[in-house]
Amino acid sequence: MTRALTPIFAIAGRELGSMFRTPVGWIATALYALLTAVVFALQTLEPGEPATMRYFFTPSAWLLIAVAPAVSMRLFSEEFRTGTIEPLLTAPVSAAGVLIGKYAGALGFVACMIAPTLVFPVTLGILADGPIDAGAIASGYLGLLLVAAVYLALGTLVSATTDSQVLAFLVTLIALLMLLILAGPAASQMPIRVGLILNELSIQRRAATFASGVLETRHLAFFVLASAWLLALAWAALIRREAR
Amino acid sequence: MIHVNDASKSFGHTHAVRNVSFGLDRRGVTGLLGPNGAGKTTTIRLITGYLRPDAGSISIGGIDVNRDPVPARRKLGYLPESAPLYPELNARQYLDYRARLFGFTKSQRRLASLSAIDRCRLADMAHKPIGTLSKGYRQRVGLAAALLHDPPVLILDEPTNGLDPSQIRTARALIRELAEDRTVLLCTHIIPEVERTCDRALVIAAGRLVADGTPEHLARAEGSPAEMDCQGPADDALRAALARRLGGTPLTVSDPEGGWITVTARTADDDTTQRLAAAATDAGRAIRRLERPSPRLEDRIVEVIERAHAGGETQSTPAEGGA
Repeated sequence: MTRALTPIFAIAGRELGSMFRTPVGWIATALYALLTAVVFALQTLEPGEPATMRYFFTPSAWLLIAVAPAVSMRLFSEEFRTGTIEPLLTAPVSAAGVLIGKYAGALGFVACMIAPTLVFPVTLGILADGPIDAGAIASGYLGLLLVAAVYLALGTLVSATTDSQVLAFLVTLIALLMLLILAGPAASQMPIRVGLILNELSIQRRAATFASGVLETRHLAFFVLASAWLLALAWAALIRREAR
Repeated sequence: MIHVNDASKSFGHTHAVRNVSFGLDRRGVTGLLGPNGAGKTTTIRLITGYLRPDAGSISIGGIDVNRDPVPARRKLGYLPESAPLYPELNARQYLDYRARLFGFTKSQRRLASLSAIDRCRLADMAHKPIGTLSKGYRQRVGLAAALLHDPPVLILDEPTNGLDPSQIRTARALIRELAEDRTVLLCTHIIPEVERTCDRALVIAAGRLVADGTPEHLARAEGSPAEMDCQGPADDALRAALARRLGGTPLTVSDPEGGWITVTARTADDDTTQRLAAAATDAGRAIRRLERPSPRLEDRIVEVIERAHAGGETQSTPAEGGA
């Protein structure tokens, strides 16, 4: 680890640690585990059906619409409200370093939140008659993480523009729901060209390909570029705050 | 060590800081004084790089804080107003986190934390969550974090705010001790704090630097008023005697009260009381009271600030101990 990266790891570590030092982190983890367990029991453990996790990943990605804003809302809003942003942004770390550290911490937390669900494919492997498709399961988990990456990037951007956590949560949640509606049901009501463009923005549709075990570069690139673009906007919001 | 060169900053139509310039030496405590809303915190935020100036430049140890922020911040220890901290961490965890932000290795972090905890007398409370600590201890944690990397420049914004008298005394002693080998810029609106702690005072009002000098120099600069109660009315004979003995010195003469009038002379000259007495003697008046109280920094600063607000004029005394 080079000296330049140490502060970024420090910020990521503090973010991750602070999630587990407050009840919010534990409650979110427990709730996610409970809901995904219900999904697993109802959608995946079907006697006589193929041993696939495909129908687990899709609703799990839906759950992230509510979970990701709860994780990202505090990233900057809380620092703005309490004033801790001032010692942070006057430490020898660039605004981009602060942003990456915080985002990585939030993504790390969601990864920790998703990790306990690994018990489900293990259970499936024990209960299934034949071998399970480990590649498809790995692809499904990658898809979940990529969905979380985009949602958290959007949440980071919103959090970097307000000192109200509640506002950050609501705006992110509404934006994600709007995106869901626009790229889904609304797209089919639009003129065909607009509908096609909106359809391309569908995160759920792209995530579904990962859930079915298909790894397509264009979908991977979409998630990575969308996250990077939203983070670049968040960086601009932070810089603007400094220069305000 | 710190150079502020013609820095200005506006928020919308509000000019928070206007054409402020000053330089600070390698050692000593400089107080940045002014009423609430005068532009002190904005000035400090410009120096720390938290805000960018609209015009002008700022450097710490020769490094421009806006062009080269990361190396400049390595030279800086900063305690913002009300010491914002993470309540869920304890002091050790917070200091370890801050040391990581400075890229310290594990052994460096341990040494730096221990030294800062010891210096700020935090050992008893180092394992308690910061959120459960008293205001005084939280200030100490903030100060320990600012000192962690042994910076040559320390900027403290209202460091004694909310402390009890005993804690204030300890904090002042610590600030004096720290200033023996570094530049300390202390932002405050408490004038006695400047008198007791600072080698130099910068006064800011309405976003402008309106006075700069040692506290003693500032207190004396305009002269402490000498007062004399003498018998009789303020007639031509007395006025002539006063004019002869005190020349162009600004004088005020009160209305008679019980047969006595009060003559007040404001000048920096040391022999004002003798000259007042001589004028009264020349006019054949009895003197009941003749005194010149020690100059009070508070009075001078309030006058300077009020004048700045009234006239919008910059009125600086010569910088002492400057760049």
